[in-house]
Amino acid sequence: MADFKVHQRDGEGVSVIDLKGYLDAHTAPDLENAFQKLLSDRKYNIVVNCKELTYISSAGLGVFMAFIEDVRKNQGDIKLSNMSPKVYNVFDLLGFPILYEIFKDEQEAVVRFRATLKP
Amino acid sequence: MNRALKAKPSSKTVPSAQKRLRTSVKGSADVSDVVPLFEFSNVVNSSVDLKFILGTVLLTVMGKMLVSKGMVLLKREPGEFEVVNAKGVDPLTIGKKIEIDRPIRSVEHADRVRATQPWMSFFREHSQKLLVPILAQKRIIGLLTLGDRLGGKKYTKTEHQLINSLVNLSAAAIEKALMIKQLRDVNRSLDRKYQELNTLFDLSKEFNIILDAEKVIRLLTFSLMGQIGVNRYAFCLEDGGKLRFAASKLDTEVRSTEVLRSLCALKGADLVENLAKQKRFFIVAEFLAQIGIVAVVPMQIQNQVKGAVLLGEKLRGADYTKGDLEFLYSLANLAIISIENARLFREAIEKQKMEDELAIAREIQQGLLPTTLPKIPGFEVAAINITSKQVGGDYYDVLPIHFDEYILVIGDVSGKGTPAALLMANVQAALRAFAPMGMSLPVATARINDLTCSNTGQDKFITFFWGSLNSVTKEFRYVNAGHNPPFLLRADGTIERLELGGIILGLMKTLTPYQEGSVTLGQGDVVFMFTDGVSEAMDSQEVDFTEERLEEVLKTVRTKTPSEIIHAVQAALETHTQGTPQSDDITVLVIKAL
Repeated sequence: MADFKVHQRDGEGVSVIDLKGYLDAHTAPDLENAFQKLLSDRKYNIVVNCKELTYISSAGLGVFMAFIEDVRKNQGDIKLSNMSPKVYNVFDLLGFPILYEIFKDEQEAVVRFRATLKP
Repeated sequence: MNRALKAKPSSKTVPSAQKRLRTSVKGSADVSDVVPLFEFSNVVNSSVDLKFILGTVLLTVMGKMLVSKGMVLLKREPGEFEVVNAKGVDPLTIGKKIEIDRPIRSVEHADRVRATQPWMSFFREHSQKLLVPILAQKRIIGLLTLGDRLGGKKYTKTEHQLINSLVNLSAAAIEKALMIKQLRDVNRSLDRKYQELNTLFDLSKEFNIILDAEKVIRLLTFSLMGQIGVNRYAFCLEDGGKLRFAASKLDTEVRSTEVLRSLCALKGADLVENLAKQKRFFIVAEFLAQIGIVAVVPMQIQNQVKGAVLLGEKLRGADYTKGDLEFLYSLANLAIISIENARLFREAIEKQKMEDELAIAREIQQGLLPTTLPKIPGFEVAAINITSKQVGGDYYDVLPIHFDEYILVIGDVSGKGTPAALLMANVQAALRAFAPMGMSLPVATARINDLTCSNTGQDKFITFFWGSLNSVTKEFRYVNAGHNPPFLLRADGTIERLELGGIILGLMKTLTPYQEGSVTLGQGDVVFMFTDGVSEAMDSQEVDFTEERLEEVLKTVRTKTPSEIIHAVQAALETHTQGTPQSDDITVLVIKAL
């Protein structure tokens, strides 16, 4: 079975989640747990770095949907970065670019958070 | 190809092409017109961006003719044209569709066309005076329309030709761009289909290994959210003809799901607005609309609705397409099979667990019952115990205690299975401990009762009969603690019941001492002890065998040996039950004085 890993890095006011490998129905619960943990730790500024994400299925996308409302309700956001064209294509096909901010680079996403953090 | 796809309108080329065309037209049409025409053709033909091409054509023509209003329409259906570009005209006209009921083959002046045609009034309304067909390989693919020229100058014939040339030079480019756009749309919808299939495949793979309905529903939720983009939903599962919520995320609290019952008649996925038009779904549709549900997808197994997925608005604001509903239908039916499998699996496990437990109970119970009965001089003894499937708590025993003293016991613990068997083991241990201690039967019974009371809950009790038989004096002293009174069948044909005793064991601590009964067994006298499995053996109509019928049978066989008596009773029971499965243990213990 293809591997999937979630790794969390906490920066100043922003948490970065690194996704690696294959995110499908089988591995979606791993990402769900990661988001659950962020929320229970009250970390609502989240950047998901998809640099090493090789595949995403709609179940994987669904996890983002399942948490976005809660995150935004707490004045936070889930921003995405470093997507490969293949992964971006899936996001695009299902209309996600309208709902999520997607950045070329993780740093841009972090900077965007910082800008809203310090008025 | 790739380069062409990326070719963006160069801000330099466009105006310069327009400018040159404009300057060249100042004089009359001459050879020098060819150069800007060529340049224009190059610009439009090097692009596959429809919007850019149309914009360039329109602006070029407008610039050249000094016109401030112009439109481009593309043919969508036979006779139907859609405004795709408009300059100097109300931008709301873009996207408008107009029926044009006759072919326009060459440049036409709106003023010269008969005013009765309704489509003409549209052009007139927007001051479009000149209609130019866009022809590709002699087929009309669109229309370019122009308003009045500045200063009121009329369009000359040469200008008609020039406009025609410009428009038709770009026709090929427009057609190419249209085809590429179509190709891209097809590609994208294929991509989407591929994505949907991937999702189905992904889930079916996963559903096959999950045997937990909750997990199946969670994964299904994720996939719906991801694929369709919904954030409000409810999953209903069928439960005794009703649909109840198994998981939901709604903005409104739903108190009763009774109204959802009618969804069991659903044949396929549908929109709530469509259901509202059908009489039998009208009420449920109204309810669904109130709680923000837009689409309903039944979950079926062999055409039986086993559940339904209720979905709210798509987050991206789009409508549910036919494709969406088809996809949802496949997904939902995939999920319900998995949910159903999970249920069957759980049931099988529970059944297995129950059977395992029963096997243990049976083992305990069988371990408690004597394998051989001791010989009692001057008496003949026989017993039988037939356990029911559920394993009741019947017990019997024959114990030699002193030289001539024998204890005979029969009892029935309330409840079934392991708990009943364990309680009976307790009682057996107690009576085996107390019996040889020289206590009287009533005292020992009281002790057993107190012990049972402190060891068990309120719901457990034991009907219990035991007696002490002296094989020499033939005296049989007994205590009956709430048990079905044994029959004493005297050799002279009279029948007595052994009733003396007291309260059932295990209900409450002994307050009133148990009474002891005593009978002396003469030759040919029979004591027939039994449990309610005998008297309450039921036929298929759930009619009990009854003690009266038992007595009738016993009357006829009292002269027989104990085992013959047992056989006769068994035969009578079989005649009565006619193969109806035995619901309780059947136990009989018989002694006869020789």
